[in-house]
Amino acid sequence: MMLAVTAWLGAMPGFMTPLLLAALGLLLCERAGILNLGVEGVMALGAMVGAAASLGGFGPGQAMGLGALAGLAVSVPFMVAVIVFRAPQIPAGLALAAIALGASAALGRGAAHMPFAGLAVLGWFDELEGVPVIGRMMQQDGMVWLALILAAALGLWLARSRGGLRLRAVGEDPATADASGVDIQLYQLGAVAAGSLLIGLAGAYLSVGGSNIWTEGMVAGRGWIALALVVFAQWSPLRAIFGAALFGGAEALIPRLQAMGVEVPVYLLSMLPYALTIAVLVLMAFSKRARQAEPGFLGRAYIRQDR
Amino acid sequence: MTKPVQTVAPALPGAPSALRIFGASKRFGDHLVLDGVDFDLAAGEVHALLGENGAGKSTLMNILSGIYTADAGRIEIEGAAVSIAGPSAAVALGIGMVHQHFKLVQPFTGRENLHLAAAGLPLVPRRAVVEEQIAAVVKRSALDVNLDVPVARLSVAEQQRIEILKALLLGARILVLDEPTAVLTDAEADRLLALVRDLAAQGHAIIFITHKLREVLAAGDRVSVLRRGRMVLASHAVEDVTRDDLSRAMIGDQETTQRRRSGSTPGPVLLEVTGLGVRDGGAAYVSDAGLSLRAGEIHGLAGVGGNGQRELAEAILGLRAATGQVALEGRDLTGLSVAARRRLGLRYVPADRSADALAPNVSLAENLAATLVRTGALGRRMVWPSRVRQHAAAMVQSYGIAGATGGGRRPVRLLSGGNAQKVVLARELDRDARLIIAHSPTRGLDVAACAYVHERLLEAVARGAGVLLISEDLEEVLALSDRISVISRGRIATTPDGRPDRAQIGELMLGHA
Amino acid sequence: MLETVTLERRQGAGAVRAALTYAGALALGLALSLAVLVAAGVPTGALFNELVVQVFLSPAGLARTVTMATPMMLGALAAALCLRLKFWNIGIEGQLWLGAICATAVALYDIGGPLRLPLMMVAAMAGGALWILPSALLKMWLGVSEVIVTLLMSNIAFLLLQHLLFGPFRDPTFNFPTSPVFGEAEKLARFGWGDVNGGLVLALVAVALAALALGRLRYGYAARFVGDNPKAALALGFPAGRVLLLSILAGGAMAGLAGGVIVAGTEYRLTQAVGLNMTFNGIVIAALARNAPGWIPLVALFIAGLYVAGASLKVFYGVSEGIVLIAQGIILLVLVTAQFVTTYRVRLARGVVA
Repeated sequence: MMLAVTAWLGAMPGFMTPLLLAALGLLLCERAGILNLGVEGVMALGAMVGAAASLGGFGPGQAMGLGALAGLAVSVPFMVAVIVFRAPQIPAGLALAAIALGASAALGRGAAHMPFAGLAVLGWFDELEGVPVIGRMMQQDGMVWLALILAAALGLWLARSRGGLRLRAVGEDPATADASGVDIQLYQLGAVAAGSLLIGLAGAYLSVGGSNIWTEGMVAGRGWIALALVVFAQWSPLRAIFGAALFGGAEALIPRLQAMGVEVPVYLLSMLPYALTIAVLVLMAFSKRARQAEPGFLGRAYIRQDR
Repeated sequence: MTKPVQTVAPALPGAPSALRIFGASKRFGDHLVLDGVDFDLAAGEVHALLGENGAGKSTLMNILSGIYTADAGRIEIEGAAVSIAGPSAAVALGIGMVHQHFKLVQPFTGRENLHLAAAGLPLVPRRAVVEEQIAAVVKRSALDVNLDVPVARLSVAEQQRIEILKALLLGARILVLDEPTAVLTDAEADRLLALVRDLAAQGHAIIFITHKLREVLAAGDRVSVLRRGRMVLASHAVEDVTRDDLSRAMIGDQETTQRRRSGSTPGPVLLEVTGLGVRDGGAAYVSDAGLSLRAGEIHGLAGVGGNGQRELAEAILGLRAATGQVALEGRDLTGLSVAARRRLGLRYVPADRSADALAPNVSLAENLAATLVRTGALGRRMVWPSRVRQHAAAMVQSYGIAGATGGGRRPVRLLSGGNAQKVVLARELDRDARLIIAHSPTRGLDVAACAYVHERLLEAVARGAGVLLISEDLEEVLALSDRISVISRGRIATTPDGRPDRAQIGELMLGHA
Repeated sequence: MLETVTLERRQGAGAVRAALTYAGALALGLALSLAVLVAAGVPTGALFNELVVQVFLSPAGLARTVTMATPMMLGALAAALCLRLKFWNIGIEGQLWLGAICATAVALYDIGGPLRLPLMMVAAMAGGALWILPSALLKMWLGVSEVIVTLLMSNIAFLLLQHLLFGPFRDPTFNFPTSPVFGEAEKLARFGWGDVNGGLVLALVAVALAALALGRLRYGYAARFVGDNPKAALALGFPAGRVLLLSILAGGAMAGLAGGVIVAGTEYRLTQAVGLNMTFNGIVIAALARNAPGWIPLVALFIAGLYVAGASLKVFYGVSEGIVLIAQGIILLVLVTAQFVTTYRVRLARGVVA
């Protein structure tokens, strides 16, 4: 039992990291008032590009960087559509998802089902190896730590910096932000660009950091879970860490339970993260505080005439 | 065109001029909203600006804050001619606006809002510098308000103080307060007036826009009155004018108010509201409200907006859960749906047409026919579009709805305010209407459209229906009502005879009676 | 950014401007899609033959296209019926899978005797409606975003599908995870024209009924009011909640029926590949048809044509089927972006140009 818990906790950060990165990316978009339903496709493209770059001889860090850049590149038409031309965000986001999914399938055929060397575990905490439970949990690759640092930094930036204040104002009340001289579109472009990089990175981590192989459809709804995770986190990066740990933990539980011989059919067990996500959304709906955390202008188009 | 001759009282002796406007004009389409307006404001002065809705006050202030540019005229600030190209230019010139609707990010704290506003300064200062400036402004203005809780949790008066702080932080020397007391309680208003006097004493020049003569007399140094785009009373010292002068200047030479209706024979009791209460979350919108209304009668319900009018109307219609009892022609309405209440003859003309009465993107014809379609009067299962259009054509003709081209196929949002209101009236004032709840039925309409709405309501009453006229416009209430009640903080009160006069209404509004 | 221009909302765009915008967007979207195809290695000269002749003009090709379009019409209805009430049904695949599962269950467990086939279709609709019900109720009662819930319900439905295909429904005689093949009484009739089958009749009847309900029944008027302004609809006494729920359930039922039509009309068994991409197809078709049922069959034929062409391009030029998804994405993105022209008016900012 102890062994299983140790193994579970050791595996959890790996499941948690892509969710956290994607959630942080979405959080940035949503704080600027932009709902990005392209997330599932952008992650898929990031995963494919990360794998293809790894197979093409790039190091894991470079491969993930390229995955992130691919995420940004494919999102540019979406950004122009919803920010400059105020296109409705839901269908535009779905279109982005389709384009990115299609691109990952079309461009990635040569890279499918070919294993490669992925991200290695950092050696920093080797001496802790023997410590029960925690020791195994500390054996992670650099991206796990980087994602946590990013979350903390983003949380600090949003809460404390002038830029963060303005970004929050843009998503909350663009008319007031505009009246204060904040360039709404510039902030939105910046936020969605940074967000797309993070979402692409999240996808790249799935292949380069996680499975070390790329297959079509490997994102498997994680983008949608990240979308719900942002609601769960009440648009706060620090809470997103807990949310990602919860959902990642649920995901990590599935192979453990199987290994322990729990008599639940595997596909029904795999529903756990999705069902958990819906349950959490329902719980959040009861919290007034959570409802108020949603950026007031999320999903709507602002033009100055409305001021 | 000659301007009304007025003697201009000098500003405070020796005070430098803060702002001068010469001959400002502004035209929207065919409508001349401002017609050669002059205005004069001195440093250290509180200059009250009066005028009815639509007199041109907001247009003048929008020109000052850079939202509009004047078609003609000249503006001088502290003696120098300026052009105000946009909102940021206005801020740079030291003009600060405190709007009726606050421009605050609600989930942000007051401090965050001030920091956000400071981003609009030409040379964006560092965070610590802004902090210092906030502290300095707070100290200087003696404005005390908690800056570290979300604005949404503050009272309206506190939010208003943050708005004033914001203007001061941005270096405003000229402060424009747009009907600042409309949303305040009496005690809060008094406090604000004292604050305004303090700010003036510190050398700020203040334009104080209001409806209330009491405030002009209490806090103003000079007073000007706008009527239909012209300055009919320019910069008089407050000591030299009487209440009468001011109300005559605002309303014009026609007789002020005379009750048009009196002595009609009231029919049987139509509506009986007893002990009505509406709560939502922690807030009580309506408490223990009682009201009765007879057939063939207009019962006016006066009161400052936001005192529970909307909630009362929605509770009577069945849109909101309420405690207490509402009876229509002796029949208890408790538990009945909106549709059932409408079947009994209840009708509703809400204050906000486009939000609560019309489907803006649905065609004019379907908006007109909505209730008939719902009740099955145009066909039990199938509703042929031709019948809907026929009905619409008849209504368009009998109500004179303009802009209804193409057989009423165009979406109703393309109609003007007056015509949209006619659509609502055409639908709600049908033959079967027994009780019509009309909430601010003339808000935002021009004079002709107002008269039309009043005529139609009087017609309905003549047919034996009853009208509950909820209005913030006292003149409207006085002119149309057989009986008058006043709603204040969710409570309804009136005089024993049910016919309070203007002064009594004023007292009831303040909750004194 | 873009400080030199200001935007104003248009009061109403003229019919001509709206039509030109739509046509222009469609043309631009198609042109970009063709450019992608050429970039992917399809010779320019072959485009007309592959995309028009083989898909719409040859009898066999047209039959393939019509067969492909049949469930798409139902999927588009699933999107459009919900979207008319501003409910984003992004879980069409999930409802479709449930429909397919329920229809298959009726067939596999030999339920219904002589009424087997109709019962399969009814079960399919019930399954789809059931699967959309939680998102509808959560939205109406608690205001939970239907966007996320319908998406997640699709993921759950897919896992359920896999569970059944690897477990209770699995055909043990076959290597792949599929159900056993249906009997003759469980198949929709074919008309002797390719794979075109009775499902087409069902889809066209559904389209006609939807058009009738929205255009002529009292329900349609109520739906327009509730969709445009629920507050006003309530104040007028329309049963807004019932209308909303009915529309959403009808949408789910249409998606479920699409699943039933696929298994009983073309596949004759349940597989993992049933209804793939149908959520996106449905939303694209509904968007192109502007949620008007009457336009759905035509638009569905167009999108189905893309898929049929994509399948043959894959064989002849080695072009990935992902290209079809890209083309649809481009067309949708251009279309929604083009709404800018009908929604806003661009003016040069004050002071920049006199």
